Amino acid sequence: MVRFQRRQAFIFCAFLVPFMTLAAPSWLTLSGIGPSWVVLWLLPWSLEYGPFSGALAGLYLGLVLDGISLDGATHIPVLIALGFWWGCIGRRGPLIDRSLILGLLALIGSVLVGLSLWVQIVFFQESALLNAFYMWGLRNMLAQAIITGLAAPVVCSWLLLLARRRRSSL
Amino acid sequence: MGGSNRSVIYGWRSLRRLWPWLLVAFSLCIVRWSKGAVFLDTYAFLTRPFWPGTAQRDWIKNGTQLEQESRLRLLEADNQRLRAMLSLKSSSKAGLISAAVISRSPNGWWQQIVLGKGSTAGIAQGDAVLGPGGLIGIIQSVTPITARVRLLTAPGSRIGVWNPRTKRHGILLGIGTNRPVIRFLDKDSKDSKSLSGDLLSTSPASTILPPNLPVGLIQTLDEQAIPAPEGIVQLIAAPEAIDWVQIQKF
Repeated sequence: MVRFQRRQAFIFCAFLVPFMTLAAPSWLTLSGIGPSWVVLWLLPWSLEYGPFSGALAGLYLGLVLDGISLDGATHIPVLIALGFWWGCIGRRGPLIDRSLILGLLALIGSVLVGLSLWVQIVFFQESALLNAFYMWGLRNMLAQAIITGLAAPVVCSWLLLLARRRRSSL
Repeated sequence: MGGSNRSVIYGWRSLRRLWPWLLVAFSLCIVRWSKGAVFLDTYAFLTRPFWPGTAQRDWIKNGTQLEQESRLRLLEADNQRLRAMLSLKSSSKAGLISAAVISRSPNGWWQQIVLGKGSTAGIAQGDAVLGPGGLIGIIQSVTPITARVRLLTAPGSRIGVWNPRTKRHGILLGIGTNRPVIRFLDKDSKDSKSLSGDLLSTSPASTILPPNLPVGLIQTLDEQAIPAPEGIVQLIAAPEAIDWVQIQKF
């Protein structure tokens, strides 16, 4: 019963991802850009529940984020890949939940999400070819990666703690 | 001898009797010389409490404003009638809907804002969204109680604009930065070149957007660009700081 409740709490936190993305609190931004909330949730989930749960969660969250964003690029492929990759890493050992490593993984994940969006916008939108590879995309990517990497040790650690309590209570 | 002394004393006494009158005459000379300044100033000072108050000044201002509004209404009506004669689409202030901005991300990957009114308030896809000063975006999708706006700065955003001074058409392209790009459709003639600082508005003959909405000012212009001049545009309405917008039905 306790395990079920903990999992529910974790899943409930997933519902906060689109809301936080929409709210975009201005006090948690770097150069006007907030953290990648989907990365902050998907990382601990994948580390805890494995590659397939991670990939599935990536798919679901990708669908939701595509729904609340403008057309032109999709989050789905990169989130599936990230969920799967982090799930595989999580299966290897327990040392992965160190704060520094969590921050690093979140930073890499955010860079990959940004890179995926950047590539899609540059190559699939005609007007993008106007301005030599969209330097604003690089700025977005770096700013989001840094703020996500800084927020990850706090947010991801808390979510992992939520899941670990479940494990210890069994 | 004694007689002459008496006459001097008599003259002196008569002068002492006359001096007030001489003083009055001198004062009046000053009044005449100063064009009555003392009198006017004194009059103004004394009658100040009885001057027309702010109420009368407001009446005059209100009257002037009313006259200008009436003239504007007449001109707008005239404009609508002429547009109808030319079979051009028109817009009116009656179609404006105010809505609060409930989510904004003007700087991230998606330059969009979400409004707190949707299809139940009459908002539809393609409606123009106005901030204070001009157009900021187009309604991209609506739900019953929300509407998502694609900002003019968003990658992939493209609308037709024109330069009213040179009467040249162009396309405003969003490239993700705060300043979209204008790409003119043809070269400017020698007589009428687009200049930095020129106003851009929606085309008066537009069938997609309301006509003659101000959009932005040309900030820099590359006249050597091929095939036609390109420039960077500073939008008049900055979406970063807008809490309320107006949606213009078209």
